[in-house]
Amino acid sequence: MMQREILVILENKPGALARIVGLFHQRGYNIESLHVDPVTDIENYKDIEVLLNLKLKENEVSKLLITTTVSDNLLRQILRQINKLIDVLIAKEEI
Amino acid sequence: MKLAGNDILIQSLINEGVEYVFGYPGGAALHIYDAIFNQNELEHILVRHEQGATHAADGYARATGKPGVVLVTSGPGATNAITGIATAFMDSIPMVVLSGQVASHLIGTDAFQETDMIGISRPIVKHSFTIESAKKIPQVIKEAFYIATSGRPGPVVIDIPKDTTAPDKLFDFKPLDSVEIRSYNPPIEPDPKQIERAIEAILKAKKPVIYAGGGAINSNASKELFELNKLLNFPVTNTLMGLGVYPAKEDRFMGMLGMHGTYQSNMAMHNADLIIAIGARFDDRITNTPDLFAPNAKIIHFDVDHSSVSKIIEANIAVFGQVKNSLIELIKQLKAKNDLIDENLIKPWLEEIDKWTELHGLNHELYKENSDKNMILPQAVVQHVYNITEGKAFVTSDVGQHQMFAAQYYHFDKPRYWINSGGLGTMGFGLPAAMGVKLAFPEEEVVCITGEGSIQMCIQELSTCTQYNLPVKIININNEALGMVKQWQDMNYGGRHSESTYKSSLPNFVELVESYGHVGFKIEKNSELKTTLEKAFSIKDKLVFVDIYVDPGEHVYPMLVAPNGSLKDMWLSKDKKV
Ligand SMILES: Cc1ncc(C[n+]2csc(CCOP(=O)(O)OP(=O)(O)O)c2C)c(N)n1
Ligand SMILES: [Mg+2]
Repeated sequence: MMQREILVILENKPGALARIVGLFHQRGYNIESLHVDPVTDIENYKDIEVLLNLKLKENEVSKLLITTTVSDNLLRQILRQINKLIDVLIAKEEI
Repeated sequence: MKLAGNDILIQSLINEGVEYVFGYPGGAALHIYDAIFNQNELEHILVRHEQGATHAADGYARATGKPGVVLVTSGPGATNAITGIATAFMDSIPMVVLSGQVASHLIGTDAFQETDMIGISRPIVKHSFTIESAKKIPQVIKEAFYIATSGRPGPVVIDIPKDTTAPDKLFDFKPLDSVEIRSYNPPIEPDPKQIERAIEAILKAKKPVIYAGGGAINSNASKELFELNKLLNFPVTNTLMGLGVYPAKEDRFMGMLGMHGTYQSNMAMHNADLIIAIGARFDDRITNTPDLFAPNAKIIHFDVDHSSVSKIIEANIAVFGQVKNSLIELIKQLKAKNDLIDENLIKPWLEEIDKWTELHGLNHELYKENSDKNMILPQAVVQHVYNITEGKAFVTSDVGQHQMFAAQYYHFDKPRYWINSGGLGTMGFGLPAAMGVKLAFPEEEVVCITGEGSIQMCIQELSTCTQYNLPVKIININNEALGMVKQWQDMNYGGRHSESTYKSSLPNFVELVESYGHVGFKIEKNSELKTTLEKAFSIKDKLVFVDIYVDPGEHVYPMLVAPNGSLKDMWLSKDKKV
């Protein structure tokens, strides 16, 4: 068990955040801290643009930082569950 | 073309190829209902309870592979649909649920019949939408159908504030051909390298098992599975959700596995050195205690959903993609290495499995009993139904002992013919699901194998069957008890039957169904069983309800020993445990 930080980039759409928070609760994972911002500094997300093969626009997506204490296996499962959400562009461990 | 929101909505559904909408009207949905009245391309089926609408749409979807469509009003209409949405979600069934909502300006004011449908349904949908304006309707409908039917299918809820379907505001309507959702890209084609690794393991296996589930049916992969096994000749087991994806009549088919799986399937899984999971998710009814599951097996897992792989049982080789596409690639690569397949390698294994089948396999000849000294066995009822329908009927079921007997003794040779709530285990599913199937296939025999407990949970739909003339057969395996509950109480609670019997309060089912205009039969004796069932099935134009009183003491076996058991630990009868 280790404290991890998860980065989620998701469409800035109504309900998108609630789905992620709901998923943590529903699957029995604990959220220790949560921080959400609209993404305005596009230039800092070049790596994600390359990874997803798309262009981001200002305020079109949100950035979520979640900290949680979990094992490696559970982290993998959480990331897969979040990535499965329709409005999520990417979820990964922030190292 | 200029149309109002309500007409845009219905037109968008028609453009998706929707034939039937299962629903129930109410205030917040009335604009939409008016648009339904003004067209004749899709038919609305008026159920008697919104739960019935969701299960009917679900049955339609399971039988056809096309999405089921539901329309309900806000508040109680929406909440009544929840059980059916959860049922579809657990079994990955494509469904689109349109729920009326109070007008936008009233949202959040606790208006009459306002509930937060998006919030209530969030954990049990694949995705959900709120319509913000009539202009967005075509886009939302297109996305909803795409999401519901692609990847791992599932239900999608669309909440529709009343003002967005107002008939007095017109908008330009342009149908959409397709949509793309940049944040949603379910895998389709497998990674050929993973297939290569899978083949390496397959060629080495001495004790392989193919374990195929509902995902293989969703992906329409039964033809490919069959073709694959013509090359491999591996033993095959299906989950409760997967029955029919591999023909039951094939020699290599071992029957269902898991909680009430056959002895040979469970033993084969436990002793396997290679398990090839195809669209199956290792749920707890399959694995028993995960730590004790198949201790010597390597796992190859084919699935479209990343989060299903290595969730409970770690996969050694994971192949992501539509299961159908993955099997096509597997077959292609395997054919190129055909000469490396050594049939002798698995011969001792096949012989071992045959021995298990001989030792403790199910008895498929119980139907031969015709003495009235003994009570009717529920298993024999299913065997008669199988014989009379020549194994060709669509069979829907409810939840309980009757469901397990149906799964064990009706042999399915084709996918989409066995229709039951596997994941959620929803009593009340069987009758409305049968209605959906019958609407989709009016010429086919549709049988609902149910119990007197389950049938009463959606029995109001007998009235819908009258209105739309849906001549399904209902086989009520009547043990005058919540049999499965009673079985657990017998086995784990010292036989204390807490609240699992009804004390002579059951209705006269024959009179009940006759009051709806249907035909009813009651059977209490073995000597009458075959002839009365044949008579029932000879009636083609009416719904027939056959109320069959069976031995209430009968249990479902095999049954896995739990907790702390493995797949080889089974009860085989009331006093025999292995
Ligand atoms: C809606 C719902 N409530 C409760 C249960 C728990 N449950 C599972 S099987 C069962 C008994 C079902 O009785 P019946 O339909 O008569 O079937 P039998 O087991 O007697 O064949 C119950 C209550 C359930 N699966 N679904
Ligand atoms: Mg019963």
